[in-house]
Amino acid sequence: MKAMKMNTTISKTRLLLLLVLALLLTATTHAAAPGITGPIFNLTAQAAFISQPDGAAVYSWGYGCDLSAPQPVFAPQLTATPFCYAMQVPGPTLIVHENDVVTVKLLNGLPAAAGNTSILFPGFNVNATGGVAGLLTQEAAPGGTVTYTFTASSPGTRAYYSGTQGDLQVEMGLYGAIIVLPASVPANCTSGLHAANLAAEAHWSESDFRLAPAAYDHPDTCYDREYLFQFSEMDPKIHTAALAQITDIATCVPTQSRLTCPTTLEVPTEPYQPAYFLINGRSMPDDMDPNYAAQYPHQPYNGNPHMHPGELTLIRVIGQGRWQHPFHEHGNHVRILARDGNLILSGSTITYPGAAAQALAGRLEFTTDTTPGQAFDGIFYWSGKGLNWDPYGHHPGSSDASAKLSCTPDANGYNTAAPTAINFWEWCQDHNKPMQVAPFGDVAGGGPATLPDANILTNGAWYGGSPYLGPNATLRATGCMPSGATQTNAPNCGATGSTPPSGTIANPPSSEAGFAFMWHSHNEREITTNNIFPGGMLMMMLVDSREFVIDESN
Amino acid sequence: MKKLYQAVLFLLLCCLAPLVANAQSFRVQCPTSTITHPSSLHDNNSEPAYTAPTTFTTGSAGYLTPTANVNGAIKCQQIGGGDGLSTMGDGTQIYMFSFGPLSGLADIANGLPGTESPNAFNSVYPGTFLPGDPATTVNAGSGPNPVPIAFTYNGAVGLVPDPNALPIDPVTGNPCVVSNPNSAPAGCFTGHVDPRAIIDVGVMNGNIPAPLVAIDEDDELFYTLTNVGMIMRPDLFEQHTVHFHGYPNASTFYDGVPDASVAINIGGSFTYYYLAPDAGTYFWHCHITPPEHLQMGMVGQLYVRPRQNRVPAGASLYDALVAQQGDNRTKCDSTQDILCSNPLPFGASAASAPRAATGNYAYNDGDGSTHYDVEYPLQIHGFDPNFHFVGMTFNPEEFSDMKDKYFLLNGRSYPDTVTPGPLATQATDGKMHFAQPLPSIINIPAGGRALLRISDLDVTEYQTLASLGIPMTVIGFNAKLLRDQAGNNLYFNTNSVTLGGGESLDVILDASDTTKYPSGSVFYLYTPNLDHLSNDAENFGGLMTEVHIN
Repeated sequence: MKAMKMNTTISKTRLLLLLVLALLLTATTHAAAPGITGPIFNLTAQAAFISQPDGAAVYSWGYGCDLSAPQPVFAPQLTATPFCYAMQVPGPTLIVHENDVVTVKLLNGLPAAAGNTSILFPGFNVNATGGVAGLLTQEAAPGGTVTYTFTASSPGTRAYYSGTQGDLQVEMGLYGAIIVLPASVPANCTSGLHAANLAAEAHWSESDFRLAPAAYDHPDTCYDREYLFQFSEMDPKIHTAALAQITDIATCVPTQSRLTCPTTLEVPTEPYQPAYFLINGRSMPDDMDPNYAAQYPHQPYNGNPHMHPGELTLIRVIGQGRWQHPFHEHGNHVRILARDGNLILSGSTITYPGAAAQALAGRLEFTTDTTPGQAFDGIFYWSGKGLNWDPYGHHPGSSDASAKLSCTPDANGYNTAAPTAINFWEWCQDHNKPMQVAPFGDVAGGGPATLPDANILTNGAWYGGSPYLGPNATLRATGCMPSGATQTNAPNCGATGSTPPSGTIANPPSSEAGFAFMWHSHNEREITTNNIFPGGMLMMMLVDSREFVIDESN
Repeated sequence: MKKLYQAVLFLLLCCLAPLVANAQSFRVQCPTSTITHPSSLHDNNSEPAYTAPTTFTTGSAGYLTPTANVNGAIKCQQIGGGDGLSTMGDGTQIYMFSFGPLSGLADIANGLPGTESPNAFNSVYPGTFLPGDPATTVNAGSGPNPVPIAFTYNGAVGLVPDPNALPIDPVTGNPCVVSNPNSAPAGCFTGHVDPRAIIDVGVMNGNIPAPLVAIDEDDELFYTLTNVGMIMRPDLFEQHTVHFHGYPNASTFYDGVPDASVAINIGGSFTYYYLAPDAGTYFWHCHITPPEHLQMGMVGQLYVRPRQNRVPAGASLYDALVAQQGDNRTKCDSTQDILCSNPLPFGASAASAPRAATGNYAYNDGDGSTHYDVEYPLQIHGFDPNFHFVGMTFNPEEFSDMKDKYFLLNGRSYPDTVTPGPLATQATDGKMHFAQPLPSIINIPAGGRALLRISDLDVTEYQTLASLGIPMTVIGFNAKLLRDQAGNNLYFNTNSVTLGGGESLDVILDASDTTKYPSGSVFYLYTPNLDHLSNDAENFGGLMTEVHIN
């Protein structure tokens, strides 16, 4: 009954089919860090089935919104069609401000046989009222409530999760994230390059989907875009056993062959052999569908990061399962800012733009460990610096205006003075520098590398269609000028280019043509879904040229 | 066995003969002059000293070209993607999807990086390659006590003058067909290769770990992947790629992720082009179906040596790091760039540390604190023999119950880790192959410091490596110097390090105290994951090696 990898050809075919299906079902939308705002939250814990890309519906427990309470306010505010049903995995992301007095009322809507449940908020000084006494905190009995109150004493990203029989309840899905936004935003986060980024967004009619301009009250925690990723794994045997016992307890009638009925769950949680590896409750490719996609009523959050060159991207990452996962961010390093809301600072002070502050001392990592119960905040960016060739394929001899843009280096070498230009944030040292020995399409030759006959290459679904970034460069490189005119060097307008852009269905050469990078667990067997590759803890991060509009409204 | 050999021969004829007919698909690249490294300013067969940042001017084509102080040089390497067999610590032969060297054969067999300068890479083999080379030639000595035959060739396997290159001398016709290829005019070398040599050497040539790559900051690397096919799994038509793990600001095109880029079909060569990133310990692997291709063995090591090594002996390291601030590409201003890791050392000055006369540095530290006398790459990996068996026998594979039973340092388990020289395994072609070229015995000169470049590409679980005796000083993490934004070093001492798959770090074993660590003493690196001190059923071996003070 197990689905298995027969060979790569089948896997790839399956991947393409999945992609086609995914793309047919949904429009292209991206990620953000969506949630509900406080400081008062009315949550419930309930059971439901969550969906996996192998077709499985896995019986799970999750936190959700108490539908008898007022509808929550969603953030970011531009989110198009948000929802918060009575159960979701992960639970609703709780967004509050520093110094808020937060109140979380929890109604236990789990099946009675599941017993009590609760929420822990590690990192906060919590006052629990109501409910019944539990081992770690006050708990809500079946049908009952409990209330947790605490002050959001410092900014950052933290986990919340069940404090009752955690080996079962967290495995079943009772976990979520709480984001505390800083009380004050450092002045440099709304001026200089960050203001220029906003100007670029406005020029391309792109919206600002951030929850705040800074992650902490620190001048080097400004950011231009943000995403939240929660890592967890599931062993389906546990979920199957829980459902079977719940059903049995609910329906059992004593008979002569079975004199007494069980009243409590006795679900073994060891030995542990997870088969599903989740980011925000979804496995690849489902994680790249939009937030609040209708087909995942109990898994509203996605993992589909996009960014433009130079944008400082805040990633909020939480380990919610029982295993560690080495999360490898292709494309660049990540500066770890903080763990569990604790900024990692040097004993020495340096002068950042606009303000002196203790220097950051968190590590730079290309593989960031996720650890059970632990959160980290990190900053990532991509700029193309150091490639030694112009990723925009600029060509002064072209007849296309976008191929002849100028690049004026700022003090750090980037083209930041013109926020409305396609090549805003270009690394100027490589401007106009060719990569290929021979000219190709509208991209000039004279560079170091010779590309092979395209027939020896196989293209991926996220391949942008050329080595170059963005639709303008890709169209020019692949034989057809953006205007539709035939080029001098490649009189094959309408044909293929340096490598044929066929099959690039997830990152089309004529519209997005971004640089796609795989962000995934590097314990590689975790990029599978119940033994099927690809799947699991895997998503594609897209660096998009400035003219492509990143829409995070869902 | 004979039947299998015949089957393999049959497959060779059936599947690879058409490739031979389309020989142009195999190619290598190793230019002697580029925009960044014009040979008119420096001969690219050696590294120039670092005295100042490169100066540029905008040329007629609209881009910057160097005018003086060219730094770095050109490096080239060719590898084959295919399959092979290796021998585990308990004597079991295990089937691998794997990369093997197709350049630097002599260096790789000697445990060195197979990365070559253009003059070495572009040389033509004077003889005829034999299947299994270099092991076949080395082992060909005859008599009762055969003496190994030296194999010193490090060029690109298959490189020959291109018979289709334009005639240079109109009187004599095409000068590229010459009796002594090494005397052919430079214009004859277009990257054209003889596919027979590639197939003879490349088939069943897989190594674990994959060929070692080492470059210097400011180098351009031309890294050619030649896909020779997996002759024992011809049903797979498997592509391969190179993922340079950790390359900052990577391009998708050269990132090697097949979903996001191009993958290289059987019978083709693709040259990955990189400007060396910041110094540090990286690694590389195939990115096709990673749970499978990494478990099966397509993992290798790659490190970048710092600019600071090229500072003239006696010159100030601090001044050299100050000079690096003169080029935006090489500077680190923590107040401007949140992802740079080596600002000027806090409280240091020009007089802090001169470039040592011997030894090298792990990073551009500016204070000499990453100095070492000897360096050793150590790659942690694990093999699940059940997975490899089903991978060899056309069976469907499962991932969730993957369980490693062999725990490898540089592709070997203890006690093989301390066996000097390459380990050979007879493959299904009947030839011996140097499938495990890299020992991991750590030899430290008495009073010296060793740099361990540790990486982990295990695909199933976290691995811990402990030092019994000499404390580990962790100086770098994920190819970045451990230093805060203000310039304070964040090095720390520990007796063990834990890595997940896809992680690397740099450790110094400081044996400078000769009272504690006298000549002749032996220490151990081993895993405290005690069930990993085993070679499958043998309750002995596993992830362990020895540190010898010489």
